[in-house]
Amino acid sequence: MSGDGVLADSVEELFEDAPCGYVSTRLDGTVVQVNRTFEAWTGCRRDALIGRRHFAHLLAPGGRIYYETHVAPLLMLQGAVREIAVEVVRADGTRLPALLNASLRHDAEGRPGAIRITVFDATDRRRYEQELQRARRREQEIAQQLQRSLLAGRLPDDPRLDLEVVYRPAVRGLEVGGDWYDAFWLDEGHSVGLVVGDVVGRGLEAAATMGQLRSAVRALSATGLPPGPVLDGLDGYSRRHEVGRMTTLVLARLDLSPGLLTYACAGHLPPVVARPGEAAQALWGGRSPAVDAHRAGARPRGVGTCRLPPGSVLVLYTDGLVERRARPLQEGIDQLLREVDDRRDAPAASIGAGLLAAMTGTDDLDDTCLVVVGVGGAPAGG
Amino acid sequence: MSAVRRNNVVLHGPSDGPPMMFAHGFGCDQNMWRHVWPAFAATHRVVLFDHVGSGGSDLAAYDPRRYSSLDAYAEDVLDICRELGLRDVVFVGHSVSAMIGALAAAAEPERFARLVMLGPSPRYIDDGDYVGGFTREDIEGLLDALDSNYLGWSSAMAPVIMGNADRPELGDELTNSFCRTDPEIAAQFARVTFLSDNRADLPRVRTRSLVVQCREDAIASEVVGEYVHRSLPDSEMVVLDATGHCPHLSAPDQTVAAMRTFLAAA
Repeated sequence: MSGDGVLADSVEELFEDAPCGYVSTRLDGTVVQVNRTFEAWTGCRRDALIGRRHFAHLLAPGGRIYYETHVAPLLMLQGAVREIAVEVVRADGTRLPALLNASLRHDAEGRPGAIRITVFDATDRRRYEQELQRARRREQEIAQQLQRSLLAGRLPDDPRLDLEVVYRPAVRGLEVGGDWYDAFWLDEGHSVGLVVGDVVGRGLEAAATMGQLRSAVRALSATGLPPGPVLDGLDGYSRRHEVGRMTTLVLARLDLSPGLLTYACAGHLPPVVARPGEAAQALWGGRSPAVDAHRAGARPRGVGTCRLPPGSVLVLYTDGLVERRARPLQEGIDQLLREVDDRRDAPAASIGAGLLAAMTGTDDLDDTCLVVVGVGGAPAGG
Repeated sequence: MSAVRRNNVVLHGPSDGPPMMFAHGFGCDQNMWRHVWPAFAATHRVVLFDHVGSGGSDLAAYDPRRYSSLDAYAEDVLDICRELGLRDVVFVGHSVSAMIGALAAAAEPERFARLVMLGPSPRYIDDGDYVGGFTREDIEGLLDALDSNYLGWSSAMAPVIMGNADRPELGDELTNSFCRTDPEIAAQFARVTFLSDNRADLPRVRTRSLVVQCREDAIASEVVGEYVHRSLPDSEMVVLDATGHCPHLSAPDQTVAAMRTFLAAA
């Protein structure tokens, strides 16, 4: 049949002109064979390579380190590697983005004797991957910006109150979390509302939900309702708008004179207070389930109260501060009480920084959010 | 958590044998030593381990602030020695772990009998007359290469791997199961490794040392090996008839022979 001459591909032609580059090396990486395709793609002639060049030296420096520290060992340990992304440096200094597959060739006794490498031109694929990576980074940035703008806003500034808020994202977090803090005036400046909450989930959706709940808590609190009924109102909001279910938060109202704290915890960790002359303690009053986790007909949410004379310190926080894998929660809270005791005389800002440094670090898979309040103004000079 | 568990310590050989500790380099884990340690298992207490953040170590123990310098890795080595009550240790370190061993030996010389350094480099970046072989841009290129090669480590898979140091069987389902590293940890370990400068630490190492050098090592050249040899107060150097950065994988017999000769010398 006509055309057979074109179809009959000799093995040699198949090797030399295959639509991929072939490189064979000794175990130590010295090039022993290349095909015409590799020569054409790189502009490197085989007599300049064979016996003279180490395969890793044909790669851009970063890829060379990667090849020597990751690919070569993997190849020796598991016999083959796949889809390794590198850049091959052409004779003219330009770079060819490539994907490598490689396998070990064994001798008659089964000992590894050589390395076979196929080189695929991945120019377009690399460009696409870089676009995807840029898009992913951009998405993270947007979420972080959104979160920052949702948490922004002026906090109450008053000599009767030494207030510090801290938000630290998880050390290894790729996405923003749904933790939030808030502090705002109530009763025309006679009391201040304080909030720390934690929305389930991560990413843009969690950040957006957090923004909604934060505004809802502000709006409900502005009506003059005490913390318990505000949380009941938040349940209704969550149910009606199908948003923020299972969010935990602590909402407190601090009356500045006479220094009385009224608080309610929806499934959230207890506030910690250190009052003059007393050891730091966790406040276990005013507890109820997380947002919209009430059974039908459940009792309205209650509140706890606690007197906070001048010199007292109040700390609201999210679980990132005290929860660790392989440690009971109570131990985390006990540690927090000790750490608060150790710093109670310091200004709120240094209490916040100190607690973060002491309590977090080895296992920061979660965000950490803190509100620290020194009652009765900052200590002299603070 | 105990250092033995944190660093996934694996022991072989007679418990009363002289201890020989193997420390893997950047990019892999204790599997790297599989062709070398068996040669010493009849005579030595072989101690294999993974650096925190690598292999089967407890990834939850990886604190980026703590592991921002090689000193933390050297402290981990000393923790393991203390916990196992090891003295007169023969420490065998590949690549960056040669420097980790040097730091540990400088800190507690009484613990170490000998140091064996495979492909050591005290500084990878050129500096004036010193030729480390790389520029800062090259190291950025490595970070890009790391970034491009973690396609298999998607964000969906990471928590499964990270959160289950105690359930290694979960990792076995992954391809490239050797030398797996969390991409963020790998990037930081790369920075700590390749931006470190331990030239000033070498003269403080009083332990008798062997520098094992390959020809055409793309990571640590012969010039760098000679620099290490010259800077160590008490060292010898052997150049293997092998090329590449991992003689313990590509030329294990020669590596073992060089170590034996060094250890046999009084």
